[in-house]
Amino acid sequence: MDESQLIARVRAGDSAAERALYDAHVDRVYRLAFRLAGDDALAQDFTQETFIRAFDRLGSFRDAAFSTWLHTITTTVVLNGLRKVKRFRQREADIDDAHDIGVAQRHAEPDLKARLKQAIDALPEGYRTVFLMHDVEGYTHEEIGVVLGVETGTSKAQLSRARAKLRVALADFAGEWVQ
Amino acid sequence: MTQEHEDPKFDQWLKDATAKSYHSPLPTPREEMWKRIEAARQNKRVIELRPWLRWALAAAAVLVLGIGIGRWSANQGSVPTAPTASGNRVANEIDSLANVAYQVAATQYLSRTEAFLTSFRADNRSVNTARLARQARNLLTTTQLMLDSPAADNPRLRSLLEDLELVLMQISLLNPVQDGHDRDLITQGMNQSNVLPKLRSAIPAGPVQVRTEGAL
Repeated sequence: MDESQLIARVRAGDSAAERALYDAHVDRVYRLAFRLAGDDALAQDFTQETFIRAFDRLGSFRDAAFSTWLHTITTTVVLNGLRKVKRFRQREADIDDAHDIGVAQRHAEPDLKARLKQAIDALPEGYRTVFLMHDVEGYTHEEIGVVLGVETGTSKAQLSRARAKLRVALADFAGEWVQ
Repeated sequence: MTQEHEDPKFDQWLKDATAKSYHSPLPTPREEMWKRIEAARQNKRVIELRPWLRWALAAAAVLVLGIGIGRWSANQGSVPTAPTASGNRVANEIDSLANVAYQVAATQYLSRTEAFLTSFRADNRSVNTARLARQARNLLTTTQLMLDSPAADNPRLRSLLEDLELVLMQISLLNPVQDGHDRDLITQGMNQSNVLPKLRSAIPAGPVQVRTEGAL
């Protein structure tokens, strides 16, 4: 059965078709959520929220690629969710333990893994999202453009700027990639 | 278009290093997530207003409006000619403002609780216990006010509020000395009772101000 038939069956209320559609897409949705969130509990929450919204709104899905439509919902859910959690943590940190933040920063280890994480986390949200989607999860610039609602050229430019920033931030490790 | 900073060796090294060490995904927990999705969707279907409930609410709204107009008319007492259209409008506006304020406050409370529990589950060990307990106590007070409000007339919402009351009470009583095990138990309890998916399905879509202090 092809995907459009599956979608038609989901719209008709077939729960087995819902499960089949979920099985076909859940791995990629969860992977993207995990890459962006970096936490299993959050990635699970975002994946669940994505499918709940997708099934609720399937009536409004028209003629596009289902996968692209689903990943548009995924990035919206993940980026909004991360902003919400970040605001919440920031506000609480501002209120009562700015001291702890200072301590945590001083303990950062200068190894590649930690430096890479620090550098990627420091990228502006748009650059980071495009970099992870394109270079790590293998989305094309066309897909990214549709999913994030930007021009393909914008996606390419953001990737280029993200790599440039990371190259500067990771200059200490130049020996590794020159080899 | 080639830009001056482009370096294929660096790009490849960066891809490999990031794929290997930055937020490497775990195996997809398909079954666990599917169960929660099904439970949340089931819960949402029940919480959504059914046609008979809409009619009941509409009837209640008309009744409240009637009482409002009645009181307004009575207060006019000696005023010879009360402008009826204006009276209707005032009563209607008061009623509608109260309704909007109540919905906004309830949505803010649910959103703030969701953000708190999501953060609690994700951070687990890294946030200090005293702060968590204080936040939980603040939300617990609001939860108890909600339980005494008309919101609790909806059996599903009441059940959600009771689940939240239990979780928040457990967090508010966390012992700073031996809280690791207790936090795990609270997280397990939250997962088993599907508190977060139920909470999310009760929050209307759209942007919401997260802060609620003083709203209820």
